[in-house]
Amino acid sequence: MFWFKKPALYVYSIIFLLLGLFASGASAGLFDSVSLTVGSSRIVNSPYAISGLFGGMSSLIIFLYPSIIGVGIYRDYKSETHSILYSYPFTKMQYLFAKFFSGVFIVHLIILVLGIGVSLGFILPGTNQDLLKAFELKPYLDIYFIYILPNIIFTGLLVFGVVTFTRNISAGFILVLILVVLQGFLVGYAEDAENRLVSALADPFGDLAIQYYTQYWTVAQQNELYIPIRGVLIYNRLIWLSAAGILFVLIYRTFSFSQNAISFAFWKKSEKRIKKTNFLGIVDIDLPNVKLNYSFITQLKLLNRLSNIDFLYIVKNMPFVSIVLFGLLINIVSLFELGNLFGTATLPRTWRMLEAGETLALSINICTFLYAGMLIHRSRIFKSNELIDTTPTKNWVLFGSKFLAIIKMQVLLLSLVMISGLIFQIYKGFYDFEINLYIYELLALSLIYYVIWAFLAFFVQTLIPNPYLGLFIMIVLLIGIPLTQLAGIEQSIFKYNQGPGYSYSDMNAYGSSINRYFVYKTYWLCLGIVFFILTILFYNRGLTSNFKERLKIAKNRFNGWHPFFLSVFTILFIAIGSYIYYTNNVENIRRSSKEQEIATVEWEKKYKKYEKYAQPRIISVNVNLDLFPKTRDFNVDGEYMLVNKSGQIIDSIFLDHSSRISTFEFDRENTLVLEDTTYHFDIYEFKNPILPGDSLKLNFTVRNKPNTLLRNNSPVLYNGTFLSNQNFPSLGYQGYELTDDKTREKYGLPPNELKPLPSDSTALGNTYISKDSDWIDFEATVSTSVDQIAIAPGYLQKEWVDGDRRYFNYKMDSKILNFYSFNSADYQVFKDSWNDVSLEIYYHSGHDYNLDRMMKGMKAALEYCSENFSPYQHKQLRIIEFPKSQGFYAQAFPNTVPFSEGLGFIADVDDSEEGGNDYPFYVTAHEVAHQWFAHQVIGADVLGATVMSESLSEYVGLKIIESVNGKNKMRKFLKKSLDDYLLSRTFETKRENALMFNDGQGYIHYQKGSLVFYALSDYLGEKNLNKAISKYVNKVAFQDPPYTTSIELLDYVKESTPDSLNYILKDMFETITLYDNNAVSAVSKKMDNGKYKIDFEFNVSKYRNDEKGKINYGDQERDSINFQSDNMDKPIYSVYLEDYLDIGVFGSDDDENETEIYLKKHKISDINNKISIIVDEEPIEIGIDPYNKLIDTDSGDNRKRIVYED
Amino acid sequence: MKLKITNLSKTYKNGVKALDKVNLEIGTGMFGLLGPNGAGKSTLMRTIATIQSPDQGKIVFNKINVLNDNISLRKILGYLPQSFGVYPNMTADSLLNYFAVLKGISSKKERSILIDRLLEITNLKDVRWKNVSGFSGGMKQRFGIAQLLINKPELIIVDEPTAGLDPAERQRFLNVLREVGSSSTVIFSTHIVDDVKELCNNMAIMNEGKILNHIKPVESTNKLKGKIWNKVIDKTSLDKMDKKYNILSTSFNPDNSLNIRIFSDQKTVSGFKKVNPDLDDVYFLTLKENS
Repeated sequence: MFWFKKPALYVYSIIFLLLGLFASGASAGLFDSVSLTVGSSRIVNSPYAISGLFGGMSSLIIFLYPSIIGVGIYRDYKSETHSILYSYPFTKMQYLFAKFFSGVFIVHLIILVLGIGVSLGFILPGTNQDLLKAFELKPYLDIYFIYILPNIIFTGLLVFGVVTFTRNISAGFILVLILVVLQGFLVGYAEDAENRLVSALADPFGDLAIQYYTQYWTVAQQNELYIPIRGVLIYNRLIWLSAAGILFVLIYRTFSFSQNAISFAFWKKSEKRIKKTNFLGIVDIDLPNVKLNYSFITQLKLLNRLSNIDFLYIVKNMPFVSIVLFGLLINIVSLFELGNLFGTATLPRTWRMLEAGETLALSINICTFLYAGMLIHRSRIFKSNELIDTTPTKNWVLFGSKFLAIIKMQVLLLSLVMISGLIFQIYKGFYDFEINLYIYELLALSLIYYVIWAFLAFFVQTLIPNPYLGLFIMIVLLIGIPLTQLAGIEQSIFKYNQGPGYSYSDMNAYGSSINRYFVYKTYWLCLGIVFFILTILFYNRGLTSNFKERLKIAKNRFNGWHPFFLSVFTILFIAIGSYIYYTNNVENIRRSSKEQEIATVEWEKKYKKYEKYAQPRIISVNVNLDLFPKTRDFNVDGEYMLVNKSGQIIDSIFLDHSSRISTFEFDRENTLVLEDTTYHFDIYEFKNPILPGDSLKLNFTVRNKPNTLLRNNSPVLYNGTFLSNQNFPSLGYQGYELTDDKTREKYGLPPNELKPLPSDSTALGNTYISKDSDWIDFEATVSTSVDQIAIAPGYLQKEWVDGDRRYFNYKMDSKILNFYSFNSADYQVFKDSWNDVSLEIYYHSGHDYNLDRMMKGMKAALEYCSENFSPYQHKQLRIIEFPKSQGFYAQAFPNTVPFSEGLGFIADVDDSEEGGNDYPFYVTAHEVAHQWFAHQVIGADVLGATVMSESLSEYVGLKIIESVNGKNKMRKFLKKSLDDYLLSRTFETKRENALMFNDGQGYIHYQKGSLVFYALSDYLGEKNLNKAISKYVNKVAFQDPPYTTSIELLDYVKESTPDSLNYILKDMFETITLYDNNAVSAVSKKMDNGKYKIDFEFNVSKYRNDEKGKINYGDQERDSINFQSDNMDKPIYSVYLEDYLDIGVFGSDDDENETEIYLKKHKISDINNKISIIVDEEPIEIGIDPYNKLIDTDSGDNRKRIVYED
Repeated sequence: MKLKITNLSKTYKNGVKALDKVNLEIGTGMFGLLGPNGAGKSTLMRTIATIQSPDQGKIVFNKINVLNDNISLRKILGYLPQSFGVYPNMTADSLLNYFAVLKGISSKKERSILIDRLLEITNLKDVRWKNVSGFSGGMKQRFGIAQLLINKPELIIVDEPTAGLDPAERQRFLNVLREVGSSSTVIFSTHIVDDVKELCNNMAIMNEGKILNHIKPVESTNKLKGKIWNKVIDKTSLDKMDKKYNILSTSFNPDNSLNIRIFSDQKTVSGFKKVNPDLDDVYFLTLKENS
């Protein structure tokens, strides 16, 4: 067979074997000795993991289809054997089948090799056997039959058809690219739970259909279950296989044996037959005189002219046109989903448009790889190489023109980002165009990245005679190079075209990140130019038979300017590389992830023993902080007042500080007995021990090492500094330990206990925010450049200017947590007040879109919390904007709330009924609520502490937004929280605890916490619950240790809970309990009295998860109940039910808006329930837990449209 | 103007000796390179045309060391390979423009005047705006000549240009070539003896990578005068005759009888009739003597 003689097949097989070995080996901890230890919670060869690994890797093969399956018939044309073949006695069906399936067969060989690679990779010596279970064939076969095979058939046929009819292999590649981009779009589209069913059916590869069932799988389920082959997954496969069938029929019908039947405009124009005109017998060859010009300038002009010809060749290519149109379309469509947070879009600022343009990155790279190959091999493919190669054009001109053509193509593709961005901005009526920003980022920043890939692509395509193999190798490099991280290659200078990126912020522009970006890109450009010169040397001119000959030719060509430039750029490359290496490895200490892991171990082993040593507590802080935005430096000169609050005599202080340049001075005689310059942990022993009740002073200075081109040694920004007290020293052992137990065991560490339980009364001495202090007095003097405003917690006492420096003195008049931050930027200020509290928003000029909403949020939260819980402890509240390059979040410090520019300031809130949530308002309310829940009530440093800060703040936020938006909009919000909770818990690496024992995981304390408290207020009544919380707040606010715990909070809640509802506290707080409720049927009948009777059948069940996500149905076996109807093949199990659930009936008003006709809690004791409800108005929908207040694994099936019985 | 080839050798990966110590000197005018298929003609042509490198040897044209300084040679080279393709969707005009650019004509105006004339010479004016990929064989060869003439080459290499052309087209093609050959060195390879007979005053016969004979067609034909004999025989007796005589060529007559031409120094050969020698006889004799 043809393929067995081709080296390409063997190269593909070897690549896939190695990829398989690498991927499964890496996931099984093969590289544990050089890279981070792979965590132990997941079985890496579980059916779920194999479906991801084997299935995922197999999708790479689609990039081989054009050259393996696609070429079947095309090759016969190309080699002109079709005229012979078509005279042979076989039918069209046989021919098409044979051609298609021989390609499919070859693909299967590669799949087989990949499967072998994947399964062997797990058991390579050096993998961690704890992560593996016994080998099973079934998962491989499952994924093969349900995923890989149908994809080969469908995609293969599509590619086969396209290549056969266009006789253009590139068209096959572009088609594959379009499918990949389409799927990428669907993946984004499916982020919204509402769209998941549609995307699951529409995904041509079926990934989303598999995810549809596995998305909420807990770790235990991921480790054990087989991929369920049912429902949507089967439908998806049937849809696409039938599409394949239709496709085959189409191909069969369209395909014709007559060799001239297939003709396409962009390949071969069907020309009119040209009449032969006669030569005159004798001709005079009297050619006009022309000047032949070979000067350097003409060669350059020639290069450009030739590049235009090549550029036009690419651009006029139908496949290319289709990728351009498709890219434009997808880009614009995805702009609509842009920056969607809580259902609300962000304003189409230019940096947003540019960010969205990154979806085109893959297309640009693949077009680069593909067309680099086409341009290099084009003259040979069309057999015009002998004509072109004998012209006196120099190699560098010929190759340079192709290179330039590709760059022009890249610029064209990049301009799509700008075009679609501008179209979208105009569509949205957003006229703040930043054309300069578009051009700068696209042409100055992005383009370099693609050009560097183009250098390598041309080099590879020149060395490799088969452009499709070259393309594939480039794709493997593109994907594979970053993955070498897994094998412990971490420094970017060893990985082609890698290095730090850049990020834009309206406040801080590109900041200093841009310098590093340019240094690394210059470094790679130098190597790129080296490749360029090598490509010229190896550029194939004429006919060569083997590599040895090409090497000889290259050696012969190596003269003139070649050695000069080659050495210049090699030296530059090495020089910049050495500079980077020196800076990162010699001048500064660089730790690989592995070394970091070992350091963490060593740190724990060395210093954990001091954890329980009593230390004095910080009782006041006074700092002088100087910020220098232009040079991005800071220095601080601070004073801590310390008191020995313990009952013990303290003889030593353990000082934990950063690696910055620091000095420390106590006002008591001491000796520095240990100075650890690696971990920056010092021990000071005092000549006279500190007696209980004694106080002492610590004066310290901290400043950053100077910033260099490559290193940012300071958190200070040009505009928008946000610096917290983490940069200041703290006392005692601070933690930072490895958490994975297996990894710990490997290093001889005892299992990690997580935090102590809230019931551990000895562990309540610290808040979860700081380990060395309780409540402090705070004063700060901050200076910054004269054009900026600097802010710290407290009230502004004094402000003055001295030269080009501006000073601010802030002082807090009440006790605060040892938790504060500093901000500095060129701010505008928006002021308002609420009662006696002055409200201020410090924002970046131009970001005034949502100031009113945020102001409203501040007022609403202040109002709600002070009314329901306790008075606000400060006289002022400030929101301070910081650059999005620092993150997309807001954080509450005492009377100050730093708030990211990316979150809220530029939200595009839609107030209509369909609109998403007003999150500038909501997030503000949440952060303001923290002034109570964190800054008044603060939990001890034990499990569940964040319930009293994050969950309660979420609760306040939800209640406030509900009062503004109404209940209907809440459903959207709750569904989103539920979806986020269910999705995030699948990524848990250690253990998921019940809410009141959570270990600080965001998905528990935010998403689950908000759902739980919202439901709780529904069950207990908002007033009742708030009263309980208020009592609790009054008891524990500003308390001294021992600090409060979630148990104490729950005790207060219990007091207000009737016995019948005690189960909800157990379900929601003490255990992980999930419902699976669904509406089965709903039939209604209009009664004679004009009322409507609805017969509603629904199922209610709930189950519990253990910390790994294993399902159980009660504390003991007999707790569980079950139900099975005739048409069910499996019974439904449930925890014993005595539950109260909402049943709601909905109609619609004249504007077709949903109205609530009936909503009442029903007591449910059985899994299957049939009830009748009589309502006055015409019902449309009915549901069990219709507002999704409960944690339900499928929130989409709770409602049912009512069917009318006549 | 002189092309001097010294000791040129090339062995392919599969062991075929395509060039075996070829030595040749070629002056101005038409030079025919005659040889059977696979003789190494194309290898020699491509090597002179700088697109294939020999294992050893030297080629000098007008002081240009071709193998070391191929760009200099390409400036004055016109090459028409045995077969060539063109990029699809390019008209004769735009393709000629493309080659003119590649060959160093930087002025757009000059290019257009030149292309006008070239199309006229090769009689392609009518199809100027047609895609070359749709041309018939003869038109494509004429296009090949047009592109070859762009830089007024001093050295012209045409590799089997008449293969596959119909007789009329072939004749026209040779006419153009004759004109071209008047002022430059033209090397012209073919396996058709008549091509050489009509065009060349100098020729070489090549087989198995070797130059067998470097001759002038007329002279060497004359040398055979009186030594070529013809006889009509029955085809069954061919074997017998072959053992007895030095048969140069055979051809059938319509009545299924066979003409045989033999070479003999003798005054008379019984049963044979003396005939006038032609270049074919020279060619076959040379091949035979060297096999």
